[in-house]
Amino acid sequence: MADKVRLGLIQLCGCSGCHISLLDLHEQLLDVLPHLDIVYAPIIADAKEIPECDVFLIEGGVRNEHDEHLVHEIREKSKVVIAWGSCAVYGGIPGLGNLYSSEQLKETVYGTVTTDNIGELPSDEIVPPLTDSVMPVPSIVDVEYVIPGCAPKPALNAAAIVALLEGREPELPKKIVCDECPRTKENVIPEKFKRTFEGKPDPDKCLFEQGYTCAGMGTRAGCGALCPSAGVPCRGCYGKTDEVLDQGSSLANTYAAAGDESLKIADKSALFNRFTLPSALISKKQK
Amino acid sequence: MGKITIEPLTRLEGHGKVTIKLDDSGKPTDVKLHITALRGFEQFVIGRPAEEVPRIVPRICGICQTAHHLASVKAVDAAWGAQIPSAAEKQRELMHIGNMIHSHALHFYYLAAPDFVLGPDADPAIRNVIGVIDAAPEVAKKAIALRRVGQSMVEATGGKAIHPVTAIPGGLSKSLSEEKRDELLAEIDTMIQYGQDGLDLMKSLNEKYLDTINTLGVIDTWYLGLVKDGKHNFYGDTLRFVSPDGSEKIDFKPADYLDYLAEHVVEHNYVKYPYNKKVGYPEGLYRVGPLAMINACDSMPTPLAEEARKEFAETFGRPANQSIAYNQARLIELLSACERAKELLEDPEIVSTDVKAEVEPKAGNGVGVVYAPRGTLFHNYETDDNGIVTKANMIVATTHNVPTMEKAIQQAAEVLFKDN
Ligand code: SF4
Ligand code: SF4
Ligand code: SF4
Repeated sequence: MADKVRLGLIQLCGCSGCHISLLDLHEQLLDVLPHLDIVYAPIIADAKEIPECDVFLIEGGVRNEHDEHLVHEIREKSKVVIAWGSCAVYGGIPGLGNLYSSEQLKETVYGTVTTDNIGELPSDEIVPPLTDSVMPVPSIVDVEYVIPGCAPKPALNAAAIVALLEGREPELPKKIVCDECPRTKENVIPEKFKRTFEGKPDPDKCLFEQGYTCAGMGTRAGCGALCPSAGVPCRGCYGKTDEVLDQGSSLANTYAAAGDESLKIADKSALFNRFTLPSALISKKQK
Repeated sequence: MGKITIEPLTRLEGHGKVTIKLDDSGKPTDVKLHITALRGFEQFVIGRPAEEVPRIVPRICGICQTAHHLASVKAVDAAWGAQIPSAAEKQRELMHIGNMIHSHALHFYYLAAPDFVLGPDADPAIRNVIGVIDAAPEVAKKAIALRRVGQSMVEATGGKAIHPVTAIPGGLSKSLSEEKRDELLAEIDTMIQYGQDGLDLMKSLNEKYLDTINTLGVIDTWYLGLVKDGKHNFYGDTLRFVSPDGSEKIDFKPADYLDYLAEHVVEHNYVKYPYNKKVGYPEGLYRVGPLAMINACDSMPTPLAEEARKEFAETFGRPANQSIAYNQARLIELLSACERAKELLEDPEIVSTDVKAEVEPKAGNGVGVVYAPRGTLFHNYETDDNGIVTKANMIVATTHNVPTMEKAIQQAAEVLFKDN
């Protein structure tokens, strides 16, 4: 790859957190930026047309027809396309919208307690119409790489950029969050499940084994087990590992060991596929 | 008749487009700002256990995620009647202030400063933060340091710098360590200094651009801010509306927001248009964010920022209605946030481990408000007996400003197209 990479960045159905995590390289930015020629990036720069790019980072999945159109245009104009962050890779949190139809989404949003003209909706002729569901980028076009995480750790972004600059393939962690977690495991199965605010968890022991609904065992490593280290269970934001087909089923598999107790856990679909519903085996509300 | 479309709107978080219709003489007749994205959080938090919602809604915005995390948990606390230990409130506030420092530094140095430091006529290809790094490396270094320290405050208290996780109903899942506190304290005086340097830079630019500031984007609107005992406050307490001429003030508590705010669906925008309900639509459109906050408060709670506020009022009037004065107002807040961080870090309770009260889920209705870096932010949830969310309403910071941004663009277009 050339010594200056022509880079494009865009946010589709995301939150800009992935962009922020790139800026969170902080002082290291001064080492990385000189190697990049940022030719398109609406969040930080003024170019209006998408030019030919070496590498394009797409943040966010597809939620409307305009997003979909952009993904195709980016694919045509870029040598390497990267689905960047869990929204782009799996649909992410906005993918929870797939539990409802887009009509239902609009009805609720434009019908809240503060709305004074309930019944009126933005016009599909003026704003880009919503797609039926949130779609991850790889379900629309082929991508060369994915960088999961919500947001991906700055180090993961940096490693990917450096790999591309050196003409190597970026590599993702192969392990699971439990492998990075400082909490000790005794291989016991919880007898009962608790909600995050219940009781005071032992600071040193595995949260799952204490009965908290941790998703670390079904989630790709890379974050350094941030959440269990901060006293709350992992919610699976890095998505599945390469070994399995679906994050939700791999988690369900572990939880099944607790028997009937696991059936009592509230809201399993949005717990086991919190960030991955649009790419899960069962993903979309059927009308 | 002609039509101009500006798309995508750049250096703006989110998705926007502007359309301007021109009559035969080239005068703009109709200016519309379109926010072109909708995700539907108000729908998909329904059915989730309420304690999970503060872990979901930060994804509304990756820049002010902490504000969403905290407004959300406050709403759940309120719905369940939870009483929070005072140490937890202080640590949550520090988390919030860290977000404020990072976001304000980002907004000023990365998004706005390229226009000032490089000039509005600079080549669009270099008119960005990388251009700033090349042209003024000292400025860039301060910007980076402010962001880094702000984000480390969030990570030290919230577990993650982007989308923090520690705020749970009843308090926090972990406390701030003494070691982290000491690291942050070691840098805070430098950050206060950088905050002042930013203001000095802004003031020197004022001399150059004062004409533009006083002519472009000047509009009369209501303002909505957050105060505590009349003083500027980032973290909550009392909402305050100020009338366009500053003569009228309306104070209310977050829990009573339905009496004071309403929203109007418009056909050209995914965003609803919030307004001051007592005044009505569209006369009651208001602005939020730094300018509104400085206009709404009687004074700043910290000494250096209060000096800066007085100077600001002398330059721009009170209330100031120049949209570009947002930048200076933002820097006053950045300075104040650094000063407040120091006060919090020096408080012994900031490392107390008594940060979590027992709570029981129950049916209730709770409102949580904080001042997000772009403006006051509302989360309101209803829960059932098991503490599962059954209804939600959110009015996010940028939303409040969309209708008035549209007005400001209309006004600017009229000025800019006058001579054509
Ligand atoms: S992956 Fe997370 S940080 Fe990135 S856009 Fe999606 S919600 Fe935001
Ligand atoms: S706390 Fe969670 S991430 Fe850590 S070991 Fe247990 S299950 Fe794995
Ligand atoms: S612990 Fe889990 S939810 Fe938390 S950051 Fe890591 S992968 Fe994401």
